Amino acid sequence: MSNRYVYGIVESGADLEFETDAVGGADRVYTVSHRRYEAVVSDIDTTEPEETDEDARRHDEVLREIMARTNGHPIVPMRFGMAFESNRALKNVIRGARSAFRRAIRDIEGRIELGLKLVTEADADVDRAEIEELVAETLEPLAVQSVENDDFSDRLVVNRSYLVEESACEQFDEAVAELEDHPNLEDVIVQYTGPFAPYSFVDVTIGAR
Amino acid sequence: MFVLDDLLFGPFVNILDAIHTVALDELYDIEALEDERKENRLLYELGERSETEYRDRKEAIEDELEVAREAHEHLRSGRVEVKR
Repeated sequence: MSNRYVYGIVESGADLEFETDAVGGADRVYTVSHRRYEAVVSDIDTTEPEETDEDARRHDEVLREIMARTNGHPIVPMRFGMAFESNRALKNVIRGARSAFRRAIRDIEGRIELGLKLVTEADADVDRAEIEELVAETLEPLAVQSVENDDFSDRLVVNRSYLVEESACEQFDEAVAELEDHPNLEDVIVQYTGPFAPYSFVDVTIGAR
Repeated sequence: MFVLDDLLFGPFVNILDAIHTVALDELYDIEALEDERKENRLLYELGERSETEYRDRKEAIEDELEVAREAHEHLRSGRVEVKR
């Protein structure tokens, strides 16, 4: 298999190679270098991987493992599905996108992404504006930046991702815990996820295969 | 006479085409199906749907998505015959 599935880009020197359950049934993650950057990859038998639940989970888990192994060294995460037919094709893309990687690394260094969904209990009638305001007042001051995600269900009141300094992560956790106990959120389920590599705050698209 | 026909009925036929396209878009609403897929996942994660319910619904939505994508592909290629 000469195809490479890409999880993210790190600055050279991370020296990553480990065995794990990777996307598409691969069992080894390693790097492909081009000058200042390394793509963290595994082998795959296609350039158009199907986004199954299992592989989406593996993609996330491999990224988390990379984050743990690079020990704070920033990784520019790729969304699910970036696969290239050869090392050469991948290196060409790294070359073409190096200034975008430089900017992205600068923006996310020392920061992580956390996700928050607030979902109404079935048939509950809540004051959405009041809840949105409460969440914004509580969490926005603790985040570097936040983005609104898809409003894909009538039951979703809030669906946001937050970019948070690693040093402020514990404080953010505590603020979410306080929100969960807030009387205005009695009929609301809180789904708090992360930490993730900051997918939602990196605007790098690498498309050539 | 043909010229007169074109002038009289041309805009009407274009409107029919537009209505037909909108109707097909609504029938094969990819965005709504994508939303439903995400909601299905969310309700499973929240424990409101069992794994079996989640997988059955997911499979059904994915089948509908495949049909919808094919329909849109045909629409874009202009290979859909518009009946009047």
